[in-house]
Amino acid sequence: MNKYLAASAVIATAMTVPYMAFAQSETVKQIQERGTMLCSGHNGSYFGFVEVNDKNEWKGLDIDLCRALTTAILGDPDKNQIVPLSWAQRFPALQSGDVDVIIKATGWTMGRDTELGLQFSLPYFFGGTQFMAHGDLGITKAKDLAGGTICVEAGTTIERLAASYLQTINVEHNMVSYESAAELRSAYLANRCDAFAGWGPNLAVTRATEIDDPEAHVILSDQLSSEPISAAMRQGDEGFVDTVNWMLAALLIAEEEGITSANVEEMAANPANPRVARLLGVEPGMGERLGMRDTWAREMIAAVGNFAEIYDRNLGEDSPYKLDRGLNNLWSHGGVLYAPILD
Amino acid sequence: MAMTDITPAAVLVAPPSRFEIARGRFLKYGFGSPLAIAISIVVFAILGWIAWSFLDWAVFNAVWSKENVEQCGEHGACWSVIDARHRLILFGTYPFEEHWRSTLAAIAIVATVLLSCLPAMWQARRLAILWIVGFATYYLLMEGSLLGLPQVTTDGWGGLSLTLFLFAAVVLLGMPMGLGLALMRRSEMLIVKWFAVIIIDTFRSLPLVTTLFTAAVVLPLFLPSWLEGDKIWRVIFGFALFFACYQAEVFRGGFQAIPKGQFEAGKALGLGYWSILSQIVLPQVFRHALPSTINMVVVTFKETAIVTIIGFFDILASGKTAFGTADWAPYYIEVYLFVAAIYWVFIFSLGQYGEYLKGRMALSER
Amino acid sequence: MPTADVLRKKSKQRRLIIQGTLVVLTVLAIWGAVSNAQYNLTRLNMTSGFSFLDRGTGWDYSFSLIERSINDTYAHTLLIGLLNTLFVGFICIITTTIFGFIIGTMRDARHPAVNLAATVYVQIFRNIPLILQAIFLYAILIHMGGPRQAMSLGDVAFLSGRGVMLPGLNISPTAAVVLLLVSFALVIGLIVAKVALWRGLAIWFVGTLVLTLAAGHVLRPAGEALFTIPSLQGLRFQGGISVPIELFALIVSITLYGTAYIAEIVRGGLSQVPRGLVEAGQALGLSRASIWSRIKVPMALRSIIPPLGNQWIFMMKATTIGIAIGFSDLFYITVNSISQSGQTLELILLLMLTFLAINYSIAIFTNWLNARLQLKEH
Repeated sequence: MNKYLAASAVIATAMTVPYMAFAQSETVKQIQERGTMLCSGHNGSYFGFVEVNDKNEWKGLDIDLCRALTTAILGDPDKNQIVPLSWAQRFPALQSGDVDVIIKATGWTMGRDTELGLQFSLPYFFGGTQFMAHGDLGITKAKDLAGGTICVEAGTTIERLAASYLQTINVEHNMVSYESAAELRSAYLANRCDAFAGWGPNLAVTRATEIDDPEAHVILSDQLSSEPISAAMRQGDEGFVDTVNWMLAALLIAEEEGITSANVEEMAANPANPRVARLLGVEPGMGERLGMRDTWAREMIAAVGNFAEIYDRNLGEDSPYKLDRGLNNLWSHGGVLYAPILD
Repeated sequence: MAMTDITPAAVLVAPPSRFEIARGRFLKYGFGSPLAIAISIVVFAILGWIAWSFLDWAVFNAVWSKENVEQCGEHGACWSVIDARHRLILFGTYPFEEHWRSTLAAIAIVATVLLSCLPAMWQARRLAILWIVGFATYYLLMEGSLLGLPQVTTDGWGGLSLTLFLFAAVVLLGMPMGLGLALMRRSEMLIVKWFAVIIIDTFRSLPLVTTLFTAAVVLPLFLPSWLEGDKIWRVIFGFALFFACYQAEVFRGGFQAIPKGQFEAGKALGLGYWSILSQIVLPQVFRHALPSTINMVVVTFKETAIVTIIGFFDILASGKTAFGTADWAPYYIEVYLFVAAIYWVFIFSLGQYGEYLKGRMALSER
Repeated sequence: MPTADVLRKKSKQRRLIIQGTLVVLTVLAIWGAVSNAQYNLTRLNMTSGFSFLDRGTGWDYSFSLIERSINDTYAHTLLIGLLNTLFVGFICIITTTIFGFIIGTMRDARHPAVNLAATVYVQIFRNIPLILQAIFLYAILIHMGGPRQAMSLGDVAFLSGRGVMLPGLNISPTAAVVLLLVSFALVIGLIVAKVALWRGLAIWFVGTLVLTLAAGHVLRPAGEALFTIPSLQGLRFQGGISVPIELFALIVSITLYGTAYIAEIVRGGLSQVPRGLVEAGQALGLSRASIWSRIKVPMALRSIIPPLGNQWIFMMKATTIGIAIGFSDLFYITVNSISQSGQTLELILLLMLTFLAINYSIAIFTNWLNARLQLKEH
């Protein structure tokens, strides 16, 4: 409010000197000055990643990563603010500063990296595009979808992937696309479409929980892609990319070293090796180089846990979805996730 | 009606009551001829059948509480979904423990609207004070930090409270803007006049949702960062501009009803432009424009539903979320009816009030 | 009088200052906005310009009147969006106007049952937001089930959760669009020629029918029947005209809502016709139908046309709610293009200019129509 009052008073003169104010933009500094972190939410629920629970609170893997980042920067996981955004709105919202970062099942593409002026963190998740179809149609692969209707979410990479894949395998079809995941799901369940293209993990989650009879739906064998999922940030702030990357790295290192939210204080009091000591801020260096507190990773792990805890809570064993970790395990356990070297 | 041929006997008989007149007309036109009777029977039968089927589904065969949800079947409404999820529909993602604030805030806005319907309030200053007070009450309660309550930022506002907030903010901000545009449009200064004409005509030709989308998504690119503000305020500003452009035309109608002579009379008395305007002309303009203004306010309330497209968690979006889980997915009809009923009650009653005022003013001008 | 001269001079000066300030402020605001946009685009490293219009989109959407593929350019896809918007807008303008006159006349009727039915209709559909009605209707329709559970109407037309299947003329969609335009041109021609209402309608109906059948004969694929009738094959219906459920839901909801509004406009117009004129008609022994078509409607039109024109513009704008139910109207295509190409400013500019052009055209048409009808009185 005040912002507007003050703004309107000096609108005329200041319009003429428009961009002195953010010549030295630094996202982390802005977040610290503001005292809150602005993260992307969803207009509805995207199960397992961004969802609203019965108490009207945001939860999910992506929300937990945002909470982790908030703790790292501000020292308190609750100092974040989730801004509900549709898929189509996420990049404009990031560019305009409505959010500081997009952690929202967002794939790393060349177009986004270059033309949209974004930059991406290390991938924290891998998932491919697949189709799910009504079981009573008796189909097992995308080729059988000929003549059918396929639903997708508008403005996503999946939309283009599905369209070009179906063209490649020469399947004639109708396509309907929706602006939100909830709408897409209810349209599919209402039998508006024979199949819907989605991101594998999300399909599995939907099938496991959102449907009365999981057997009545099949996930088709075609694997359209494997997408690296990363946090997206505005270009021109390398420091912020470093912060996000090391936030993710710290979560993975914690998992490798067996540091959990339960034993983090114990480990800090009695670090098993120099790597743990450095990670938990027992030895200095971790914070200074990022312009933050030395103990940021310790606080973060205490607040949200390591990567395995976050995964299990939202997608894995402790969630209703019971999703296998598969590719999204540490490299040492047959997955593709790894952390850069903490020296 | 001619009053000349009243006989002494007729004076003794009480005039027919409004009910009797209505009944007379009902019988005369509804059952006066075989064709009329046939039409009456068919239409009333259809209307009755629709009403009966609806009541049968919505009331007689309905399940009301969330505990009895297993009894929900094909033949009756399952209002359990409302019982279980009404808080989500009404308050969106607002923190659960703070819902009392959201309730009070919504009541403040409703009370403001109701109070503005009292003729005693129909003075520009009183209305302005009332709306500013009502709006401030809402904001202080919802935001909370100034009252020492836990802070809830606008991103956490949702449901019916958010709809009411958008509505009140748009009307409060749009009304003075509309008046400003109307005055500019009447100006004798050509540049000022054309400025207003271009703005008014442009925004009236654009769909509201494009204006709001632009305000939400595109505008930040044009603004220096200190002027960007929250998304919700940008959208409210865009919406208010839209409202103002329509309201300016309503005011213009009000101005046209006032004889030019009044301005000249005021000038002859030695009053300046602003005194003539505020003391003589504007009170009359407001009076003439009142029914159309109420109409605009009603339309605005209805149009707030469009913000769901640009990702706000208004009552429509929160309603969708309410049946967005596997348990409640089959009961979308109940949720939509609930939301529709809320809108309908607000809009219908305000609309009827507008009609009533219009009738009363037409009577007083005769 | 010197004082008056001084005053006049002073007020002239003041006017100059006010207008000058307004011009300067406007220029400053525009310049500030443009330089900010330039700065932001460079800062965010976003490309600008219209060259993206020639690039392929790579995505698909629910409805198009003309041939489309995912290799179409952005320019072509936006054109399809525009056609869809115009198509839905025109259909709704026609349906709401027709139904609006019917319901409005019923609202004006003395018969209590007829009046009640119309009143109930208007009060329900006018007092609920259009977008809610559209989403609600769409939800109900898509729950009707797939093609195999379709409701059949005499085995030639079907309604399912996927869409409405109608028997159709065996010609290409593009040819059908041209036919529609010709039919519309005929309407304009009849209005220009000042043909009387009923005769005009008859000429239009017969003309369109003959034209349609002729086109069907000439343009159908060699050796195939004049009409195609939908039939269930595999996952979907083949043959006939398939109206996707999104299009159907959008048209029906805008029609239901717009009809209620136009009905009120018509009722207002009819109720303003002086009673004396109606009584004069009765005295001449005219039937009720003739009184309606020859006295009430022509008289009422003068007060109906201007608000009716506004309502038509509203209908065009209302097509933008298509995005809420997955219908590919111009706004939907624009928003999707924005998220797929990132060219926000260019696309929003195109969208706004297009709507300004459409709605100014309707306003000009209404003014022209009004002038036509006014002249006829004298």
